[in-house]
Parts: sequence; C-alpha cells; structure tokens
Amino acid sequence: MNVLRRINWVQVVAMLMLVAIGTTCIWSAGNAREAVFHGMWKANLQTAALGLAIYALLAWADYRKVLQWVSLPAYAGALVLLVAVLLLGSEIYGGKRWLWFFQPSEISKLCIIAFLAQVYGMKEPPAWLRSIGGFGLGCALFGVPALLVLMEPDLGTALALAPAFLVILLAGRIWRRGITVLLVAGALAAAALLGAVHEAERPGVTPDRRETILKYVPLKPHQLKRVKTFLYPDTDPAGAGYTIRQAMIAIGSGGFAGKGIGKGETNSLKYLPPSVSMNDFIFCVYAEETGFVGSLVLLSLFATLCVSCAWIAWGASDTRGRLFALGFATLLFAHVYVNVGMSVGLVPITGLPLPFISSGRTFLLTVMAGLGITQSISIHKEEET
Amino acid sequence: MKDEIDMPGGPACWIVAAGIMVGLLVLAVRLERVQIDSAADSRRRMAVQSERRVQTDAPRGRILARGGAVLAENRLAVSIAVNAESFQKRTWSDTAAKIREAIDAASAIVGRPSPVTDREIMRHLKQALARPLVVWRDIGPDELARFSEHELDLPGFVALEREERVYPNGSLAAHLVGYVGRDRAESVAGDEAFRYYDMEMRGRSGAEYYYDGYLRGVPGEKRLLVDARGFAHDETTIVEAKRGPDLELALDVGVQSVAEAQLAGHKGACVVMDAASGEILAFASAPAYNPNDFVPILRQAVYDGLSRDPAKPLLNRASGGTYAPGSTFKPLTALAAIHQGISPHFAYECIGYYQCGQMKIRCSRTWGHGPENVMTALRDSCNPYFCYLGAAVGTNAVIAAARAFGLGAKTGLDFPTDAAGVVPDDAWKREKYNERWFPGDLAQMSMGQGMLLATPLQMARVAGAIGTGLLATPRLIAGLPPEFSPVPFTETELGFVREGMRMVVAGGTGRKGAENVDAWVIGKTGTAEVGVGAGRRKNTWFIAYAETCAHGADGSPRRMTCPERRIAVAMVVENGESGGGTTAPKVCEVLKHVFGTLAPEQAEGGAQ
Repeated sequence: MNVLRRINWVQVVAMLMLVAIGTTCIWSAGNAREAVFHGMWKANLQTAALGLAIYALLAWADYRKVLQWVSLPAYAGALVLLVAVLLLGSEIYGGKRWLWFFQPSEISKLCIIAFLAQVYGMKEPPAWLRSIGGFGLGCALFGVPALLVLMEPDLGTALALAPAFLVILLAGRIWRRGITVLLVAGALAAAALLGAVHEAERPGVTPDRRETILKYVPLKPHQLKRVKTFLYPDTDPAGAGYTIRQAMIAIGSGGFAGKGIGKGETNSLKYLPPSVSMNDFIFCVYAEETGFVGSLVLLSLFATLCVSCAWIAWGASDTRGRLFALGFATLLFAHVYVNVGMSVGLVPITGLPLPFISSGRTFLLTVMAGLGITQSISIHKEEET
Repeated sequence: MKDEIDMPGGPACWIVAAGIMVGLLVLAVRLERVQIDSAADSRRRMAVQSERRVQTDAPRGRILARGGAVLAENRLAVSIAVNAESFQKRTWSDTAAKIREAIDAASAIVGRPSPVTDREIMRHLKQALARPLVVWRDIGPDELARFSEHELDLPGFVALEREERVYPNGSLAAHLVGYVGRDRAESVAGDEAFRYYDMEMRGRSGAEYYYDGYLRGVPGEKRLLVDARGFAHDETTIVEAKRGPDLELALDVGVQSVAEAQLAGHKGACVVMDAASGEILAFASAPAYNPNDFVPILRQAVYDGLSRDPAKPLLNRASGGTYAPGSTFKPLTALAAIHQGISPHFAYECIGYYQCGQMKIRCSRTWGHGPENVMTALRDSCNPYFCYLGAAVGTNAVIAAARAFGLGAKTGLDFPTDAAGVVPDDAWKREKYNERWFPGDLAQMSMGQGMLLATPLQMARVAGAIGTGLLATPRLIAGLPPEFSPVPFTETELGFVREGMRMVVAGGTGRKGAENVDAWVIGKTGTAEVGVGAGRRKNTWFIAYAETCAHGADGSPRRMTCPERRIAVAMVVENGESGGGTTAPKVCEVLKHVFGTLAPEQAEGGAQ
C-alpha cells in the first residue's frame, strides 16, 4: 500500500497521455508518407509497451542500486557504442547516427546523466570532488561523449545535454565559479557566433567581407546555413528556408482549434517534407491538426512531466536521486524547448526529437527508462540503504 | 527528509522547475503569436501554394430558328485523358516515361495511336500537372466502347466529356448562324487569375459572334488541391457553370431552304424580311460553307480552300456584299421626283437613249419606249425616263430619297456584318476620286448605276418600306419590339410607285413566275452592269414586296386593309442574264413558299 501511495501518479498519467498523442501524430504523419510508414503508429505502440515494461521494472527496482551498479558500465558502454557508431554506423541524411537498429547517441543521453548523478551524488564525497577537481572531472565525463556525439555530427544531442550537465553541477554545488565561467563563456560564444553570422549574411555585405568574417566562424556549411535561415528566415524560401517556412505555415494555419486530427494539409500534401514530418518537425503536424488549444495541452503535459521530475527531486532522499531527477527534467525540457522552438523559429534548426511525439524507438525507450528511474526515486524515497 | 540540511540542491529543484515553466511559457507566447495572430496569414500562404483555381466551361446555348428548328447545338465529345498523379516517380523524366508507357499500352486497347508527343507530356508535367492530359480528343463510339471495357486495366485514364458545337443543318443559313472557335478564356469575376482553364468556345462569325455574350453562359469555378510536387489531390466545385440560354432567331427554315435552293449553283444572296416587324426570315448567301468544318478546330487546309476559292464562300453577300442596285433603285428616283412636284403622269418620250452632255445612255429597248409616265417607266424599266427625272429634280433630291430608304448607312441589324454601301455625292466623289460631281453621275445614279452600292439586306428594306411606308430596322431574333422610321413620302406618292411596281410583276419586266403567287406582289427588276471589257458582267436583281391578299371575282389579287403577312424580298444573282429573266422567277419561288400558289385558272385572271 505504501508503495502505491508513493508512486507519482501524475507522472504516469502525463506519460500515458503523451504516448497516446504521439501515436496519433505518428499515424497522421505516416499516412502522408509511403505505405511503409502507414503502420508506424502500431510500431510506436509496441515500443511504448516495451517502454512501459522497462519503466515499471526500473520504478520497482531501487534506483540507488541501479545507479550504483549499472551507471558506470552503462556510461562505458555508451562510450564504446558512440565510437562504434562512428566506425560502423550507417549514414542517413549525411550523419552517422544509426548502429544497426538503434541510435547510440539517444541512449548515451540517459547514461551520461545517470553516471554524473552517481558520481556527484555519492554519499560521502571527497573534498576535491566539490572543487575544481570535481569540475574538471565533470567536464571530462561530459566532454568526451559530447565530442563523440558532435562528430556524428549530432549538434542537437550535445546541446540538449549541456543544460542537464550544468544543472547537475549546480545542484551538486560543484565549484560554482567554474560553472559561472562556463555559462558566461557559453553565452558569449553563442552571442559572438550569432553576431558574426548575422553580420556576414546581412543583405548587401560584400563577398570579401563575408569570407573574412566566416573564416572565424567554426561552423560546418550545413550548420551555417541553418543559423543563417534562423536569422534571415525569408531569404531562401525554396531552399534552406523551405522547411521552416512550411513549418510556420503548418503551425499557423492550425489556428485556434486546428484542422482536425488527420486533416493537416501541410502534412498530407507533403509541403512539410515527409523526411522530417515524423521526427524533428512532428510538432507541426500536431499543431496544425489541433491548433493552439492542442499546443497548450501538449506544453501543459510536458510541464507536468518536467515539474513532476523536479518535485521528485525535491523530495528525493539522497543527492544522487535528486541530481538524476533534476538532470533528467532538464534534459526533457531542453528537448521540448529546442524542438518546439525550432518549429516556431525561436531556435535554429537542430535535429532533436520531441519526447513521446517523434517517432523513434531508441529515444522513446530512453525517455521512458529515465522516467522509470525518477519514479523509482519517488517510490524509494523513504527507504534507507 | 531529515538530512535535507546537508543535502545539496534543494533550492535548485525550485529554480529548475521555475526555469522550465518560464521556458515553456516562452514557447506558449510564441505559439499564441504564430497560431492566433498570424493564423490568417498562414492560411493565405497555404492557399497560395496548394490551391489552384480552374475555370470550368459553361455549355453554350443553342441557336434555334423560328418554331424551334435547331441551327446550332452541342454534342458531347468524349476525350480520354490521363492523370499524372497515378504515375508519380521520383524524377519528372521517369514520370514522363511511365506516362508514355501507359499511353502506348492504352493505344493498343483503344486501337488508335495517340498524337501526344514526349515533349507534350513533359510540358504538361511542367505547366498543367494538376490537370488531366488529353490523350485522344473526341473519340468515336467504338473506341469509347473498347476503352470502357478495359477501363479497369488502365488505371489513371479517365474519359472526359466536353461539349462541342455542331450545326445539324450543315450549311443551312451558314453565314447567318456563323461558327465558333476556341480561345483563351476570359477570367470571370474575382481578382486572382485562373491558374487553369479550358480553351473556351467563342463565336467567331455571324449570330454566334454577335450574340456570343448571350450564348456563352457563365463559366464555373473549381478549386484543385495540389501537393508539394503539384499533383492534384482533391477538387471542389466553387461555382457551378451556368449553361448559356438558347437564342431563337426569326429565321424560317422553310423560307431559308427555298431561298438557298434558288441560289444553288449561283453566286448571290437573298434576304427575306417580315416587313411588318423587320424580322429576317431568310438570309441566304451563296456559295456557302459547312460550319461543321470549323469545329472543333478549323484545319488549315479547309480554311485555305475556302479562302482561296474565287467564288468567295466565306463572304456573306446578304449583308456584306455591296452591289450596284441597278434598276431596283428607280422607284426611289421616281419618289424623289413625285415628291418634288413632278406629276406621275408627266409624259416623257423615250427615244432609245438619253443624251447627257457627251454621254449617251442607252435604253434596254434600243428603238425607245415612246412616251412613258412614272408607272409605265417603272414597268418597262426605262433608263432615259429616270435619267430625265433625276436631272429634273437634281442630285440632292435623289440622294435624299436614297438616304430616306436607308441606303449608304448601316441597317442596324443585330449582326456583325452590316455594310453601309455607298450613296455618292459631290463631297464623297472629291474625297474618293478627287473629281467633281458631273451631270453624268446624276444620270447614272438615277438608274441605280455608277458609284451607288447597296447590299441585298438594304434593298429588302427598301422594298418593305415602299410597301408599308415604314423603314424597318432588320432583326435577327424573334420577339424584339419592332423599330420603324417612316419614310418622308406620303401614301399617295408611294401609291404611284407601288402601282408602277405592281405593273412590273403583272406584265412588265418582272412578270416571269409572278403570275401564280397567291399574294399581292409588287417588285422591281434590276440588271446592273459591272466591270468593263472582258470582265463585263451583269448582276441581276429582283426586289419585291408581297402581302396576303383577297381575291376579286376573277381571282385577281386585291389589297386588304390589314394583310396578315407583309414580306419584303431582295435577291441578287451575280453574272445573271437579266433581273426579270434570272432573278424574278427565283424570288417568286420564295414568295410561293410563303404565300402559296394560285390555281392556274386564278393565275390567268391575276396576270391580267
């Protein structure tokens, strides 16, 4: 009885509703594509069922033991897989993200957070861990896999992980000065980058000046194009700006109440490129069909999910649980913010899935596993080990 | 919770939660902007990229003759077309190849090779992707049957129905009815242009042209929903096309057929007008053409044949052919003279010619008619008499009479071809030939020769106006309120001329054929000489006015106070023998059709 009372039911309900919404969106987006994708929603349900099993298992298991015994091998395994995908991965759309049937970078998100929580949440941490030494260790633990992910290249995953990493360091009170420096440096770097691209791509700039500026901008051509499209969305409506333009049309034409489920025209008439409509831009499909009302419902569900994680963190009985829950809440939020943000032109386009909604087995399982661990933190908060 | 004090990250939980809420709030605000504030703009942008306006053809109204006989109608032409969306491939050239393949397969089934070329397929994909590509236009019933039988084996192919003009009576009244062609559609209401339209049926000549706007109806509008590549997905009818109304002409198919039969083998024209209303009962021009050759497309060879034919079948002689009216003009000279105070009984001795300065104008009877008055001069068509009359009253009086009868001006017929002809005067001659007006010109004009030109339509009006005293505006369509202008001559003055013209048919130059028309007929022959030397020809005229009559004890026609029918006829036959010999009998055949034939014994009485 105690266990049932300690279960965070809000989280369970929000999660199941998100699975339902996601399956509907995948059904709608898949119908607009080739026949192979028409049954994708069933696959999503199967994956969700598997995810639920994993969720239940991890919720039932004591997260302390899981983190203690599994996080290190998981982290190491993730590193191996990230190296393997670079060597053996199959190339799709110009990136090596797939190893056989899954995406190692998605799994690594959870492994990194779990291991960081395990390291900084240990019961009697040595003094060096709270000072510059710990900071350095954290940078290394985060930096190495982030670098590997960046090499795929998967900028989105690296960017989504960074806030979670910072939150874990912050909440774990690890050398605040370093974190401040990191934050300021990151903000400055981002501002400098955007400023430089803004200046270089400004209409009317001479090619010479553009070349000179871009020499100092460490972006790959396709990344540069995305930043440029973000800053000047109307410059190339048929080319680089096409997807974001269609995304805005889709979301905007949904209006207040939407066009009805399965009736999104931008999607069904393939104006929204089918290659992204089920993954990175699935929010457009959803927003077009359900309108502003639907968007608010979805954001509320994500808010519920994230806040439930924060709530669990606050009530956690040890640091490791708290750090994990906070890190995972931040990870979830980063995905939602970047994904929805890029669909509405707030954030440059980076390939990042929307949790529960985008079709992607690896990520769905990863998210459900993470939530399972937070649920376990809620269930096992009174127990001492 | 007891070790919360030494457990780090308590405030962090609140900070993270607050941060997440703020972030999601930012997204919500942004979504409000996108989905509420600019929703209309996004919908418009969506419509611009995914909607195509298509104009749909309105069936054209029929053209009917009096009593409902069909002169022009539509038939359903079936075309077989292919929809590109059934053959989508990754590249356009693959799609085109796939379509080609399908067309070839279908050719084998339909049994006719398709005229569609690879280039046309490619062009269709680029320009009109969302619409069906017509593979066979206007297929026959056998081919359609084969297609329908195998339709299931031919996915992507559809049979399209379209209306095509057809003229069931062929060349009957061809010049009057006219013909249609196809042309770019004019956009109907709405500011955005149509993306697609069918080539619309458009009147090119005749009543089809003049009443084009009436017959055409109102095109409809469809909206095609197209996907990102441009393939059609769905279509909605926004406005249903409205069929054009039928046009009922005053034309009488019976009279028209007789008139055409009389002109068969000749070049010439005949206009039969209801003098009481101005309605055109027959409007024949020979030779004619078959307007069915003009639809759906006028083939170059056919057009070349018609336009190079020396007989000029495309020329509408009835209202567009201008001829010297010859002696048919003489009643107007007579009227001018009587109106000026010259007595109709004034006698002038015809000695076989009229001396006008250096010029000698000959009479048809070389030894002269002897003394003539207006009536007998009309009966005998005596040239010197009318030359004399003209000289006696002067140019202006003759011109005034000609103008009073509508010569030298458009008739106001509701028809594209309405030649004004020429009533020459001093100013006109100076303008045209840089020469002053000579007395010889007046003499020529007085007998309908020289520079005077009139159309058969105008002369039919003249005949009608002499008969009724009212110059009617001719009308192609039935039931319009009639329009008249009274001629400025008294009934008495007109009476003398009618008497002379009555004598023409009762024993004068126009007696041939007139004797057994069951009507009171007056007429005037005309033989206009044109050209010089080897090109010298005679255009032979007959104009007549006839009305329903009572019969005297001897069977002779008597005028009634309120005749049931009043008919005016003018006919010209090019290269004829003489007005009385060639044309008058033909006109009488037409009149016989209208009024019926007298029994021979009655005819005998009437001839006297």
